[in-house]
Amino acid sequence: MRGSRFIWICIALVAGQVLIGNFLNLSQFVLLTFLPAIILCLPQSVGTPWALGIAFALGLVVDFFSGSVLGPTCVALLPVALLRFPLLRLVFGSEMFDRRENLSVKRHGLPGLLLVMLAANALFLLVYIIVDSAGTRPFWFNLVRFLVSLVLAVIVSLPLMSLLLDPENN
Amino acid sequence: MAGPSKTSPWILSAAIFLLLEIAALALVGQSSSLQNVWINRFSHRVKGALWTGGERARNFVRLDVQNRELAEENAMLREKLRRFQLAQADSMQQAQVAALGPRDNFRFVPAEIMKVSRNTQHNYIILDKGSEDGIVPGAGIISGRGVIGLVGAVSRHYSYGMTLMNNRVSVSARIGADGVAAPLVWDGIHKDRALLLDLPLHYEVTPGDTVWTSGHSSVFPAGIPLGTTDRMRIVAGASSEVDVHLFENFSAVRYVTVAINTGWAEIETLEEP
Repeated sequence: MRGSRFIWICIALVAGQVLIGNFLNLSQFVLLTFLPAIILCLPQSVGTPWALGIAFALGLVVDFFSGSVLGPTCVALLPVALLRFPLLRLVFGSEMFDRRENLSVKRHGLPGLLLVMLAANALFLLVYIIVDSAGTRPFWFNLVRFLVSLVLAVIVSLPLMSLLLDPENN
Repeated sequence: MAGPSKTSPWILSAAIFLLLEIAALALVGQSSSLQNVWINRFSHRVKGALWTGGERARNFVRLDVQNRELAEENAMLREKLRRFQLAQADSMQQAQVAALGPRDNFRFVPAEIMKVSRNTQHNYIILDKGSEDGIVPGAGIISGRGVIGLVGAVSRHYSYGMTLMNNRVSVSARIGADGVAAPLVWDGIHKDRALLLDLPLHYEVTPGDTVWTSGHSSVFPAGIPLGTTDRMRIVAGASSEVDVHLFENFSAVRYVTVAINTGWAEIETLEEP
């Protein structure tokens, strides 16, 4: 039941991301994304190879239905999937892996989740903005886009994260 | 056992990551010409860096061969230059001919230093060329930066010589293009200093003047730069001597040229009593 709940929420979030990509163009400086949150919240039983496959598929779906260039979301989401475990280990230590427990707001605390979310989104946005600009936009533009999008992504991702994680632990 | 079991999933993950990342970049390149140009430019940059690095590594490995080739080319050019100078001297005034030194005829053979000593008062040098290569005792050893020494003995494949850092070696030198000629000897202490001896008291030397081989000894061709003058001193009230900063770096030299005077035997017969 828990697994199917997670899958349904993921599908809803991906659909939401597609809708945002198509209809909610706030500004050229703003890139609203919560895909890194989905990757981070994958259960621990999903290993890195599977996480990479899921990241690739999610990126492809979002790019395909958003009508933009095919591939940049995949390119940016793959490093997040690759560094998911090292990032969690860095912030929460190896105990989490020894006990084989999934992310939880109650156990791991908001500051830790905020930090890990910040790092994952920063990685995603850094790669995405570099690929998207393709060397045609000035550095200041990319920097402003990165900072604004990072703040927005963290603000949006945190509540979505608590939705994705097991409700019993939150 | 713990090592491989922890490492192999990471290798698998990295391989999958690379594969998917390349696939994603290929998708980006195919779906947008802007990104395609950017990816191509990036890939060309990476390829350029790799090729440059590879070429540098290859050149570094081939450095020894290239040095040998350069030494041979240097010797050939030196010989050509000498012939050119002699041909030019024929068309000059007699006074200018005298300034160039005697009508010597040198042959140049490139050689590699097998061994060189630097820490004694009688420093010596061993070269990888001998009598089979045309080296004869009494030939001069030079490099692009000045005089190294002179050949003392030869075997079939090797030559033994004394370097300028040997207090038995004296080179006939001249200050400036038309200055006074005087013997140049090692100062016995420094690796880059020599003394120009027996200068007339009235002769004034400006510090920084270039010192050249005079060509009077028939061991070295005239006009090889040796160093620059420094302080001048009066010796026993009868003559003066000048410190010379040598251009040659005896610590770094590896490839040299042996200058063989082809008229040496004829000169020796004239000098015999």
